Amino acid sequence: MRDKWMFYLSLPVAALVSPAYAVDYLSVEQAQQVLFSDGQTLTAVPVHLSSAQLSQIRDLAGVRQRNADPKVWKAEKDGQTVGWFLVDEVVGKHEFITYATALSVDGKVLGVEIMSYRETHGGEIRRADWRALFKGKTLSDQFRLNRDIPNISGATLSCRNVTDGVKRLLALQKVALMP
Amino acid sequence: MTGRRRQRPLLGTFVEIATTAEGPGADAAITKGFEVIARVHDLASFQNPDSELSRLNGAAGEAMTLHPLLVRVLRLARAMTHSSGSLFNCTLGGASVRRGILPDHGCRDFRDEGASDDVELRGHTVRLRNNVLVTLDGIAKGFAVDMAVQCLKRHGVNAGWINAGGDMRAFGDVAVPVVLRLLDDRLLPVGDLRNGAIATSRVASYDDARFPGTILSSHGHSPDVGLWSVIAAQAWRADALTKVAALAPPADRAGLLHRLKGRIVPADLGTES
Repeated sequence: MRDKWMFYLSLPVAALVSPAYAVDYLSVEQAQQVLFSDGQTLTAVPVHLSSAQLSQIRDLAGVRQRNADPKVWKAEKDGQTVGWFLVDEVVGKHEFITYATALSVDGKVLGVEIMSYRETHGGEIRRADWRALFKGKTLSDQFRLNRDIPNISGATLSCRNVTDGVKRLLALQKVALMP
Repeated sequence: MTGRRRQRPLLGTFVEIATTAEGPGADAAITKGFEVIARVHDLASFQNPDSELSRLNGAAGEAMTLHPLLVRVLRLARAMTHSSGSLFNCTLGGASVRRGILPDHGCRDFRDEGASDDVELRGHTVRLRNNVLVTLDGIAKGFAVDMAVQCLKRHGVNAGWINAGGDMRAFGDVAVPVVLRLLDDRLLPVGDLRNGAIATSRVASYDDARFPGTILSSHGHSPDVGLWSVIAAQAWRADALTKVAALAPPADRAGLLHRLKGRIVPADLGTES
């Protein structure tokens, strides 16, 4: 039977706030305050992963842990370990993302914050202070068309890379941070 | 100049919240804003078989009492379905399931599509008539942004913006330059947004589409394939109106959008190069 429908799809198009090619969101300290805002103390913990541990992580997460010296902090409150804070990086097709993950002691994700985003190709990366957008502009209209914006290289925002990264950090916790 | 800008992976995309304020109060407000967005998504997800929306779709026409946030977005979706003459249609879940665009959670017989009055609302009690399946995919992300903006304001944040993978709203004294990332990775600056919302959809025929999206009924006429950006006061409205813009007959488009309180911008984006 012939389909009486003509099917069309509406697909969302990613919109960005420029300058989008390089954004600093949070410093390590700021990310710690955001993810552990309840008076926890964070202490850097040196962790070195053996090659056996690295391959265990790959088996558990399905993604390779490249860095044998991950950046790990322990969160403590009243002398008890209450969680872990990890800073990690993922490299996508065109971008380089640094992000922070907070994990509970029993291996749950408490939160993920992007710390910085960089596009990795297309010539020199320009860093503009996004706070300049907050300068009280006197626009009367709700929308003004086609402001001059510097030429920016293309990139695909890879949310998937970050979610895979978080999975890898959960495996890392299991292998190296759990008693 | 102070300010805080944060980004989290949520809803399978990146959600960005920026505020002119900074400090512990602003950070707490932003965290709550992210939570509101996740909450709306959890309630209104068609994909998740355990969401409240999926329970409603699976209720075989029985009345259900639902979370106020879900009732609110259902009310908006129903009203927009009605006032747009079903150019935006929240009862297209059945057609999408039949085409494999949305998952089949084992609902009994369902119809391809219905009309606005198939969604019955009484207070917080909702009933679906005529075996329709409701999908809020064309409106819920925008609605989530609106709810998060309300949440930020309630927590004392006077100005900022939220961008949930393209559904964007700016509030207070900021002018936000918006760039669209096209499917071929080109970046297209479209303008500055101030005290309003913008949403953009690419309309493609089913065969050309590379990714799942929201299905559009054709009602016998083809939509204009290409990019549709709409601005409106609220993000839910901009989100829903991109579908209306694509499907409206060209002669009526501007008038219809005006009546539904949206505006297409800019006209030359309406064709794909």
